[in-house]
Amino acid sequence: MNLIELLDESAAAWPQKPAFIEGESLVTYSALATRVRELADSLSGLSLPPGSRVGVHFPNGVDYVVLTFALWKLQIIVVPVPVECTDGEALDIIQSLQLDAVLGPTARGGSIPVEPGCHLTRFNSSPVTVHSRKNLAFIRFTSGTTSARKGVALTHETIRDRIVTANKALRVTSADTIIWTLPMSHHFLVTIVLYIAHGAAVVLARHVLAAPILEAVRRWNGTVLYASPFHYAMLAQDRSDVAMPSVRLAVSTTCPLSEEVTCDFRRRFNLPLSQALGIIELGMVSLNDSDPVRRWTSVGRPLPDFEIRLLSPDETGAGELAIRGPGMFDAYAAPWTPRELVAPDGWFHTGDIARFDADGYLYLVSRKVAVINLAGRKVFPEEIEAVLDRHPAVRESRVYGRPHPHLGEVIEAELVLEGDASALDSIRAHCRAHLASYKIPARLHVVAALPRTSVTGKIRREPVASA
Amino acid sequence: MTDVREIESSLLEFMRREIFAPDLELTAETDLIASGFDSMSLVRVLLFIETTHGFWIPQGEINAGTLKSVRSLAAVVLRLKHAR
Repeated sequence: MNLIELLDESAAAWPQKPAFIEGESLVTYSALATRVRELADSLSGLSLPPGSRVGVHFPNGVDYVVLTFALWKLQIIVVPVPVECTDGEALDIIQSLQLDAVLGPTARGGSIPVEPGCHLTRFNSSPVTVHSRKNLAFIRFTSGTTSARKGVALTHETIRDRIVTANKALRVTSADTIIWTLPMSHHFLVTIVLYIAHGAAVVLARHVLAAPILEAVRRWNGTVLYASPFHYAMLAQDRSDVAMPSVRLAVSTTCPLSEEVTCDFRRRFNLPLSQALGIIELGMVSLNDSDPVRRWTSVGRPLPDFEIRLLSPDETGAGELAIRGPGMFDAYAAPWTPRELVAPDGWFHTGDIARFDADGYLYLVSRKVAVINLAGRKVFPEEIEAVLDRHPAVRESRVYGRPHPHLGEVIEAELVLEGDASALDSIRAHCRAHLASYKIPARLHVVAALPRTSVTGKIRREPVASA
Repeated sequence: MTDVREIESSLLEFMRREIFAPDLELTAETDLIASGFDSMSLVRVLLFIETTHGFWIPQGEINAGTLKSVRSLAAVVLRLKHAR
């Protein structure tokens, strides 16, 4: 199958219904399908054969959606290249995933215009052949650990399975209007594609302030709110008397910032925040839509399609979360490692430590894989350490998340320097040149030595009290 | 005591360096949101203010008036600083 069929079916069923609302402009399902066809026609003359890997380097907007579906129509594999990437980070994605080309809104040296506002830059990647029999649709780059595999590859069928499974909990229909605030380069499949498959309207309300989001909800009668913990913290503090009576579900895909935000938001809008558990290798595994008030720290009961095991449980019952079910990733992309090698028995070991309560609600206890959650954006410490360690004045570095009452965590780094602290300005400039701005540590601490765990000699991840 | 000009110039320096593209001529009057200031930019500016002035601006203070420009943001920082 091809995911373009989901859009075409919605365009046939609801041609005049709005698919996207962006500011004052309204794009119907019929218009969206037409724009996808026209762009696919323009792209088809560019000799990008099926199975090519093409980066999408666009900001949020209808164009992002049109481009992704047009590439799918041509059986091209879509790879998001987030706009906030530095040139070095973009090059890392291009090289690691062997992209054949990148499409962006502006002309660059050597680019070819496809349409106004859409330019193609080719790269001389070596041809990728190992998996040509797979019907791949999408590769999400994951920076992760330097030694680990990069990129999670998904076929059209896998993405469809994820949507079918997730919608058993989300229950999105053509009567829904989704208020959307997140970057599409980080969230697209079990969200935007799912909404399109069900004929919902999506209001692109990506905005920094509470008032315009509330206005979007009011004006378009939003029924589903999908936002980052940071937005929820902002909305919780809103002092106007604007209510959101039309919203039936407010989803937070990462841990809510704090009990304070969760409670303030509920008090302000008489609406609970539902946590979901999304795993890049699996899609949406659970959503707390049944008891988000009393069990606000739970990610809910796992969706019925998934089997869950907690491996090697401790005395409290907490163990490593292993999951088996539909929509599991097809392969890691670089180096190419098929799912069958990663999960030979069908069980994916998430690395997260979790526990169940007596009623089957799942709680995440801790993560085995180090990841910092900055206001809902996931950041891998190894990636930042690799950049810091490349600076000549840095002997070694340790990056960690320091708990922050309003942001979840903030990024800090400890550095062992070759010389004195006079290099710090140059190290900060080096970070700005090589890291997307949100990944730059808020604080750099110069230390004499890094803390190490006594057993393995590995650098410790958690913040040290005295730092 | 820090005056509003000092806060303004430190915010301007930070935003020119960390937030906006070098081709934007950011002044104290530039409309921040119209220039592409997004939620991640806001997170970074709030963290910068917390690091330099020692307090977190409550999210309830963040509205269109506060984010109108560096000047209006600096005025809020000064008011909260005095209120402490």
